[in-house]
Amino acid sequence: MTTHESDATSFLYPFIDSEETDSKSLLDDLAASARGKAAESARLQRESLTEYADALTAAGTDMAARFLRGGRLYTLGNGGSSTDAATLASLFSRPALGRPVAAWSLAADNAVVTALGNDVGFDLIFKRQIIAHASERDVAIALSTSGNSEDLTTAITEAKQRGLLTIGFSGHDGGRMATAEDLDFCFTVHSQSIHRIQESHAILGYELWSVTQDQMAHQRHSAEQR
Amino acid sequence: MTAPTQSGESFVDAELSADLAAAALDLARRFHDGATLWVIAPQWEPHAHHVAVEFVHPVIVGKRALPSVALVEPDPVAQARVASRPGDLLLAVASADDPAVLDAMRRAPAWGALTVWIGSGPRPAAGAANHILWVDSDDPMVPATGRFVLMYHLLWELTHVCFEHPGLLKPGADDCTDEVCVTCSDEGRLGEVVLEPVDSQALVRTAKGEEWVDVTLLGDVAPNDLVLIHAGTAITRLEAS
Repeated sequence: MTTHESDATSFLYPFIDSEETDSKSLLDDLAASARGKAAESARLQRESLTEYADALTAAGTDMAARFLRGGRLYTLGNGGSSTDAATLASLFSRPALGRPVAAWSLAADNAVVTALGNDVGFDLIFKRQIIAHASERDVAIALSTSGNSEDLTTAITEAKQRGLLTIGFSGHDGGRMATAEDLDFCFTVHSQSIHRIQESHAILGYELWSVTQDQMAHQRHSAEQR
Repeated sequence: MTAPTQSGESFVDAELSADLAAAALDLARRFHDGATLWVIAPQWEPHAHHVAVEFVHPVIVGKRALPSVALVEPDPVAQARVASRPGDLLLAVASADDPAVLDAMRRAPAWGALTVWIGSGPRPAAGAANHILWVDSDDPMVPATGRFVLMYHLLWELTHVCFEHPGLLKPGADDCTDEVCVTCSDEGRLGEVVLEPVDSQALVRTAKGEEWVDVTLLGDVAPNDLVLIHAGTAITRLEAS
């Protein structure tokens, strides 16, 4: 807190000092700010879905084929993106509607993450789990608002070498993920706000799940007709 | 599958934006007084973790770290009960019929916790929490579409704006914090039994802390029972609804 600075300059801002007592104008400003940011969130979600419509269909179709062969989904992220990765994994593994498939967040197990972080280094917390768990029919989705997280890019490289389908959700200019050759699909949300990027990552993940569900029903149906 | 974002759809209308603003100011006031924000989300634990990391480690450099903890053990009510102190905050991300959240919300006034409830689908009863921030949609997929993330992102952003207005972080004139408040003195205050009675005196927890109250009128009471207290006496036991 910068109490001293605000005391020294408070005469310049009569309504932004400790004498302010009427909250109505602040509440009005807060409400207007909330509506504006929510509108931007919705706009960015629609823009991202439109931009990546074809790639989402292609990625979801590939994922469905892998799930039907017994493949599993691993999701990866740090901080808030680790929680979004966990939400995405549970969307696939225990959806409110549709068919559940095997999926989990590689940040979910504190024992594994701290063991790897402590013993071999934080940059390897995901890669070592990919080595332990993955087979070529699996899928890895990495979420990073910067696209530059070392622990994610290292794990994706390993996943690609092992034949997994690799998908990245990035933000800003895409960072290293945008040019990574070991990502089969990279969905970069074009925003400077980490919050808005995460909200669009959620809808892109939802769309991926939605395509996968449709494709699993369709592909199974096609197999029965043959 | 329905498309969750139709063109022109408004995620936050005038009413919800006013709810968010009021909740943010209450959060800022309580944080200013030293509160910790406890977060429960029994069906969607990752949302509880996201709220906690948002407040503890802000994505915007320079914003102050605020105490917040996700409570994700199998019994979130027991965890919130032992964690929370008078003046704290309890935020739930849950549907209106989540039994653990319903129970935590009705007990929170006895713990002295101010409550915020984020969810979608049918709404909780009016007054079920101090602030109800709701997505009025019957789509069961809403929790996975970023709408809840948007809601707590906005709550965090607005809370930090409030810190730029220190004059408004003092208790409001309408807040009932005075010992001799005439409004409250005739009301029953909510209490949660801590220790079973000895000689008809039971230790009870209320928004003001712990106190011994006379439970003669109620007969046996057990720990965790909710009671109404008037003038040092427990006058009613509240049954689970």
